[in-house]
Amino acid sequence: MTAGTCAGAAFLFTAVGCAASAVAADAGSASNALARDMLAQLIAINTTDTPRGNVTTAAEAMAQRLRIAGFPSEDIWVLGPSERKKNLVVRLRGAHEHKPLLLIGHLDVVEARREDWSTDPFQLIEKDGDFYGRGTLDMKGPNAIMLASLVRLRQEGFRPARDIILALTADEEGGGANGVQWLVQHHRELIDAQFVLSGDDYSVLTENGKPLFFKLVASEKVYADFELRVINKGGHSSVPVPDNAIYSLTRGLDRLAIYEFPFELNAVTREYYRRRADLESGQRSADMRAILRDPPDGQALERLSRDPVERSITRTTCVATRLDAGHANNALPQRAQAVVNCRILPGHSPEEVRQRLVQVLADPAITVSYLASDGTRLDTAPAERGFAPPPLLPEMLNPLDQLVAETWPGLKVIPSMSAGASDATHTSAAGLPTYTFSPLSVDPNDDREHGRDERISVASFYQANEFFYRYLRTVTAR
Amino acid sequence: MTFFMRRFRLAAVLSGVVAAAAALAADRAGDAQDPAADALARDIFKQLIEINTTDSAGNVTTAAEAMAQRFRAAGFPAADVIVAGPEQRKKNLVVRLHGTGKHKPVLLIGHLDVVEARREDWSTDPFEFIEKDGYFYGRGTLDMKSGDAIMATALLRLKREGYRGSRDIILALTADEEGGCCNGAQWLVRNHRELIDAQFVLNHDGLVGYSITSEQGIPQEFDLSATEKMYADYQLTVTNRGGHSSLPRSDNPIYQLSEGLVRIGRYAFPVELNEITRAYFERMARVRSGQTAADMRAITRTPIDAEAVARLSREPDLNSLMRTTCVATRLEGGHANNALPQRAQAVINCRILPGHSKEEVRKELIGVLSDPAISVRYVADDGSLSDTAPEQRTQSPSPLLPQVLEPLESTVAAMWPGLPVVPFMNAGATDGFYTRAAGLPTYGVAGIAVDRDDVRAHGRDERVRVTSFYRGNEFFYRYLKALTAVR
Repeated sequence: MTAGTCAGAAFLFTAVGCAASAVAADAGSASNALARDMLAQLIAINTTDTPRGNVTTAAEAMAQRLRIAGFPSEDIWVLGPSERKKNLVVRLRGAHEHKPLLLIGHLDVVEARREDWSTDPFQLIEKDGDFYGRGTLDMKGPNAIMLASLVRLRQEGFRPARDIILALTADEEGGGANGVQWLVQHHRELIDAQFVLSGDDYSVLTENGKPLFFKLVASEKVYADFELRVINKGGHSSVPVPDNAIYSLTRGLDRLAIYEFPFELNAVTREYYRRRADLESGQRSADMRAILRDPPDGQALERLSRDPVERSITRTTCVATRLDAGHANNALPQRAQAVVNCRILPGHSPEEVRQRLVQVLADPAITVSYLASDGTRLDTAPAERGFAPPPLLPEMLNPLDQLVAETWPGLKVIPSMSAGASDATHTSAAGLPTYTFSPLSVDPNDDREHGRDERISVASFYQANEFFYRYLRTVTAR
Repeated sequence: MTFFMRRFRLAAVLSGVVAAAAALAADRAGDAQDPAADALARDIFKQLIEINTTDSAGNVTTAAEAMAQRFRAAGFPAADVIVAGPEQRKKNLVVRLHGTGKHKPVLLIGHLDVVEARREDWSTDPFEFIEKDGYFYGRGTLDMKSGDAIMATALLRLKREGYRGSRDIILALTADEEGGCCNGAQWLVRNHRELIDAQFVLNHDGLVGYSITSEQGIPQEFDLSATEKMYADYQLTVTNRGGHSSLPRSDNPIYQLSEGLVRIGRYAFPVELNEITRAYFERMARVRSGQTAADMRAITRTPIDAEAVARLSREPDLNSLMRTTCVATRLEGGHANNALPQRAQAVINCRILPGHSKEEVRKELIGVLSDPAISVRYVADDGSLSDTAPEQRTQSPSPLLPQVLEPLESTVAAMWPGLPVVPFMNAGATDGFYTRAAGLPTYGVAGIAVDRDDVRAHGRDERVRVTSFYRGNEFFYRYLKALTAVR
């Protein structure tokens, strides 16, 4: 966009208004151009965990851009355990008044097949106000924004009160070389920080184009897969016997389908409902308040739990996602198995959930094993409990509250718990308080993460770019 | 063919149909064996085992030609030895031994093809004929190259004797009973009815290459297969829009399918007896004792005693004789551990009583599932799916013709005194399906005995007891003679 017109600036940066100087708008549009350029480059580099993908190529390309932008080579590292899975770490040096701030983003994307998409998923396409391409949302868009913000600060000669470190990493979506985990384990000195911001979730939830609230993820559930298995001697299908592996399994699944894990709130989800209640109206608002009481109101809970989102925030959930049984149409099954995917509330362990599943299934013929992320099957699951949510640090939250209010007047920051696991698991495990947000606006009903024709709004991308730059500046100003 | 096992022990009780005196009189003759006939049968048996006739790497025509060569060499005129079929590797052999023509011919059928066998699964080479520890080993020793060899031997033996029976004896050795493009029995019925037309058919496939169930080598009962259930597969499918597994919803195709399958698992089709199964229960009531015998009698009366049915149904083999059965054999659902399933599927395998159609059973399944979200489609033999199943009903059981039953009972009585002959319904399918469909009464008859816990058809280290093979060889020769005796 062209600089200097208040109307144009206001279009993109609603709350910035005409206070923004022409100079700032110039810098903003240059940053937007850079962010878009880097997004296009990142999208075009296939970083899937397939023979065609290479994360190192993306890490090197971004390192090159940072060097050109003036970052000294000694502050740029490209490193990792495998040739195709290297991570980028860059440091913008500050005054060392506080421990550093670490920004994390994953460079890898999930697979996308050309034939499933309307456009080439590995080419950035701008069409009808949207950017299309694999990773536009998850999360090359946020990566480009974090990079562009860092470059902008650097080029302005900004000296933060603390170092800002950016780590762009491999294998968040799967694969054997998770970059965050590897950095925490092998190069803690490069990424050690007071707290961590991850860009791996959009924050401005919209409905029909209208922002609803700003989601700040401060806790996440623990991901666990379990395998249910029934073994039987089988036999010929012409003479069915009562003891049938498939029926044993399906009877168990029937029991699992109606089971509800206990309702439980933590510091983050309590705050979430406290703030959400203010945004909602009528019965829904009353119900959110009612479940915050001690003891929670049972009917309110029942009503809220009908919504899968509220149910997932208030309980551990387990759901059958796969089935596999039998080996021939005309043979009684010798084996029947199901995968049950669980999202476990912080404070509980996968082993605790495994034992609960055993109780719910109530059939000793059904064995319940834990499936590790590499696919190995274990008789028992890890006993470590999910991390309790970190405290909502004022130095992180206050600038966010303020900037959100400026950008989207009336919009509230709502601390949330993510139902899925991300790289925040690894930084949390290392004792680093981790918060996840990316100021992109997305309608949850049009969330195409991992799906076909993944996209983000162009206007939202530029708005988020400006927002993130300003947030970084504010949060490291003192 | 698919096999069928019973678990109960038989008391040594004479079948009421068999006269005890006849059994005693024939006892001495029952022990006689013809060493030359045994040697010939063994030689043919070996030759057949060592010709691979699997659908994959095998060639049925090679086996058919090898047998044809033996018949020609034995003096059968070339016009009576036909090798024909729709495909180069899948030819069938039809041989005719002429009789006086007083009655319509008897057709003997046996399939030459065998199911796959992998060397690495077996202790020996499955395509090498091995005699060891009193058994013949090899793929097809039971299902059913033993029967092919025995039938061929009987014909060669009768020819050598210059025997002329009251009816022609036709032998058809065919392709693709176990699957494949070109089922020989079906092809002959459709394209060369004149070659194989007969008053009735004997299928040496029996239960699965045998008719005598033994325990530790002691024969317990001779099952005369006179009807069979119809095989049908159905695919149950539930689809859903799916979603992220972190937000489970109440509509989950795996759970919907599971609930339906639990209902299928609890459902029992109505009890229905036919001429054969009624005769089976009547005869077995004399063999079994106590409550079971009383229950067997009770279910042959009308109205059927529900409690007797419930008790008998606990024995899976008896259960499958009384009703159509459907059982879930396969499951598949979901595409990723962390995604809500978009699809869940099951295969239901049904064995349908004679007189019912596959479409009738499909509709019954829909009723039992009682969930419109679960679609029930028919899976044809070639794996293709269709929204409805064939309406065609299975044939009624073959009538128990006296000209088949009486010589059988006398021959059995002579060779195995006291062994009951029991009319039987196969739970599995054989080529008898095609001959019955063509209106030819068909009976599964084989004089081979197999221990009920050692049926290795389709399995690894398939085998037949050496003594049982030779007894079966002698039995079939004698039965054929009795069947075609000029009176």
